[in-house]
Formats: sequence, structure tokens, C-alpha cells
Amino acid sequence: MRLSNVSFAYRRRAPAVLRDVDADLAPGDVIEVVGANGAGKSTLLRLLAGITRPTHGTVTDRPRVVGFAPDRFPVDQPFTVTQYLTHISRIRGNPAWRPWATRLGLDDLLDVRLAELSKGSAHKVGLVQALMPDPGLLILDEPFAGLDADTRAQLPAIITAARTRGAIVILSDHQGGLDDLPSVRHWSLHGGHLKESAPSATSEPSGPPTKVVHVTVPATEVDAFLTRMRQAGYEAQEAEEGQP
Amino acid sequence: MTAMPPTAPMTPTTSMTALSALMALTAFRIAAYIRSHRIYQALLPIFALLAISYATRAPAGQEAPALTDSAVLVIPFLAWSARSLLDTEPDTQRILSATSVGTRSREVLSGLLAAFAVNLLFAAITLFWGLFLGLTAFPTASVLWAGVALHVLAALTGTTLGALTSRAILPSPAISIMALVLGFLAMLVLSRTALYWLTVPLTAWMKAAGTGTLVTQVPWLGALSLAWLFAGLTLYTWLRRTRP
Repeated sequence: MRLSNVSFAYRRRAPAVLRDVDADLAPGDVIEVVGANGAGKSTLLRLLAGITRPTHGTVTDRPRVVGFAPDRFPVDQPFTVTQYLTHISRIRGNPAWRPWATRLGLDDLLDVRLAELSKGSAHKVGLVQALMPDPGLLILDEPFAGLDADTRAQLPAIITAARTRGAIVILSDHQGGLDDLPSVRHWSLHGGHLKESAPSATSEPSGPPTKVVHVTVPATEVDAFLTRMRQAGYEAQEAEEGQP
Repeated sequence: MTAMPPTAPMTPTTSMTALSALMALTAFRIAAYIRSHRIYQALLPIFALLAISYATRAPAGQEAPALTDSAVLVIPFLAWSARSLLDTEPDTQRILSATSVGTRSREVLSGLLAAFAVNLLFAAITLFWGLFLGLTAFPTASVLWAGVALHVLAALTGTTLGALTSRAILPSPAISIMALVLGFLAMLVLSRTALYWLTVPLTAWMKAAGTGTLVTQVPWLGALSLAWLFAGLTLYTWLRRTRP
């Protein structure tokens, strides 16, 4: 799959959100896209998925089957989880979705209406509909956001399995959910331009072993706490709501 | 500006045909329309319209004007129905539907098919109400077929007007409603003039029925109507290229 001189603007005279993006993607690639809010990550993912057309440039050799999980699953639909996923499965050619629902911990929520799901559970439904057809191009917009610890732990293995069968996996992530995955390509978006840094060659950290520590602090002290930790040389970031 | 590139289709998995994927998505959208109960927002006003229009049975010899009037008057309600059906699906779900069904053009087509199918049902209710509850005498075969043709055209007109005023095209609800009502009125007014050929000639349908020439004029008026409806649907499809 190849992006050639891809640019995108939402309106004819509006400034371009993406400018002259060139990239090659090979089967088995796992790509993490990072960038500030509004940098164009979701726009890039939609261009890759074929949902949005580039204003300039071309996207060629896209895999036949695309799975797309949005950052916010649309729950305002008059279906239960089972009804929704059954409909999507029919559209997709009847691939099995229940194993994915089981793996992501949705079994107890199958008869719940979409509108009654928590944010994390709705996100899982979005993941199941994207994963069920074993897509050749799997696009995940903030896949770790709002997920419980068990499901977060499942995602790297799911991504590894997709990569192993030759799928291209692209995700935007603010959570550091792929830190343990080897050979991840890193794209960063800044000012509409895409830059690629060297992929992580191995899951083994280059420095001394590290551990993740969760600390609970009063909401009013979060910024000061993070600043102190960073000044002390630690990587520190605020956890999303619902995340441990 | 570079030419828009051909992009590889996001076709459904396995051996499923594009047609069955299209039908499955169409069924999904109709199911959402029914389960959300939005269908009643169009159906109940249509019943009210028919009850008023046929409060007294049309006298013998007035079958063609009576059936034609109801076919014209039901169009704004059919447009409302089409708009409502297309707007039932959240914007993000429309994106997921496009990736699920394989291409955006199939997603657009499935929406139109779903809206047209529901409108055909409503047009059939309108026709049968007129035939069995609104006329003193059953029409001749030629008038009956002309009436059937006009009701099918009414379903298509409503679908087109509703699609062009749906949220994907006109995000503002206020502008959308005004466009729907004014669009219908513009068709009525313009088709009263000598420039009736510049729109779907609704008033010309009624004039022909009133002068007893409906049967002979239906081929010309039908062809003219179809030409404008084809143009309207083409415009909708073209606009949706940049409005996923």
C-alpha cells in the first residue's frame, strides 16, 4: 500500500490538514501514529481506510478488506450488541464475531442496548466489528482509550496475530499501549507533515528494566505532579478515565 | 489539483457478492429506521393526509385527478421519510458501514435503496387507500396504470428530495427542513409555468389528469420526471464524494 503526495483540506480554501504525505506500507507492518490533538491523526486514518478522498495525491494498493475501529463508537443506534454485530456480520459475509466478543469480554453484555453501554464497552463493540472479517488493513483510532486492564492486555496479542497473517495494522495511540511490541513503525504528525522515526527493533528496553506504577493524586495536583516527575527524569502521563 | 486517484475497493470478505453485502446493509438501515420508531413520524402524517384527501369519495369520472392529487401531495411526506431514514444512522456509523460494505458508493446506494423501498411501501399505501377508500368507481386499466406510474415516480421524487436534504448534505436541521419544503414548493410553482420542463413537472401531472389527458401524457411527463430525478440522484451521489 502506498501514499503518494497525499494532501487533504476540509474545504477548498482551508489550510491543509495533511501536506505531501508519502509512505509505503508492507504486509505485517504495525504503525503507531502520534501527534497533538488536531494534528490530523484521525484524518490520516480515514484517508488510509478509504473513507475520505485526498484533496491531492493518491492512495494505492489498499488491501481488499478494511477494518476500522473509531475512537468513539456510535452508540445512538436502536440495537442490542448482538443485533448490531449480527447485522454487521451479514454485511461482511457472515464471519464469526462471537469469539471476538468473548475475547474482549463482551459476553455478559450481548443483550444490552448499545445506548446503555459504558464508554469502554461501546469501544469494544467497535473493535469487534473491525476485527471480525480478519481485515488486511486494520485501522484502530485510539484503541486503548477507556478499556479495562484485561482488554488492554489482549490488544497487543491481537495486533501481533494480525501482523503475523500479513495484515497492515495502523493505530493512533496516546496510551503507550504498544510499548512492549517489537518493530513498531512510529509516525508523527506535526503541522500537517508526516515524519517517521526509526522503528523499535525489539521489545527489550535498551536501558535498565522499567515498571509502570499507578499513583492516585488529587485532581488539582495532577499537572504539578506530572511536572515534578518529568523533571526528575521519569516518563509520566495522565491516565484516561476508566483506565488503571 | 491532481486527478482523484482510483483507490482499491474495500470489498467484503470471502466469497460474498457485492450484491448481498449491499442488500444486507440496506436491510440494516431499514431495521434501524423501524426499530428507532422514526418510521411512524412519516407514516402517521401520511395517514392524516389520506384521511383528509379522501374524506369524501371522488365522483365517478374523477379517478385520475383524485389519484394524481394524492400522488403529488404525499411527496413532501415521502421526502421527510427518506431524509429521516438516512439521518437515523449516526455519521460515524455511516463510515463504519462504508468499510463494512466495501466501498463508499455502495454505502450511498444502500441508503438510497432503503429510502426508496420504504417510500414505495408508503406510495403503495397511498394508492391502495385511494383505490379502495377514496373513489366511487374503480378506474379503467389505463388510468390505473398511469396512477401506479405516478405513485412510483412520487416515491422516487420523495427519495431524491429527502436525500438532497439529509444531514450528510445539509448538516443544519433548520436549513434542511426549509430546503425540503421550499424544494417541493419550487417544483409545484415552476411546473405551473411554461418552464415546467425545468423540474419534476408535478403540477403538469395534475393538469393532465384534470384535462383527461393523463394516460396519453404519462410517457412524456414520466420521462421528463425520470430525467430530473436521475439528475438529482446523480447530484446527491456526487456531493457525497466529499461528504462521507
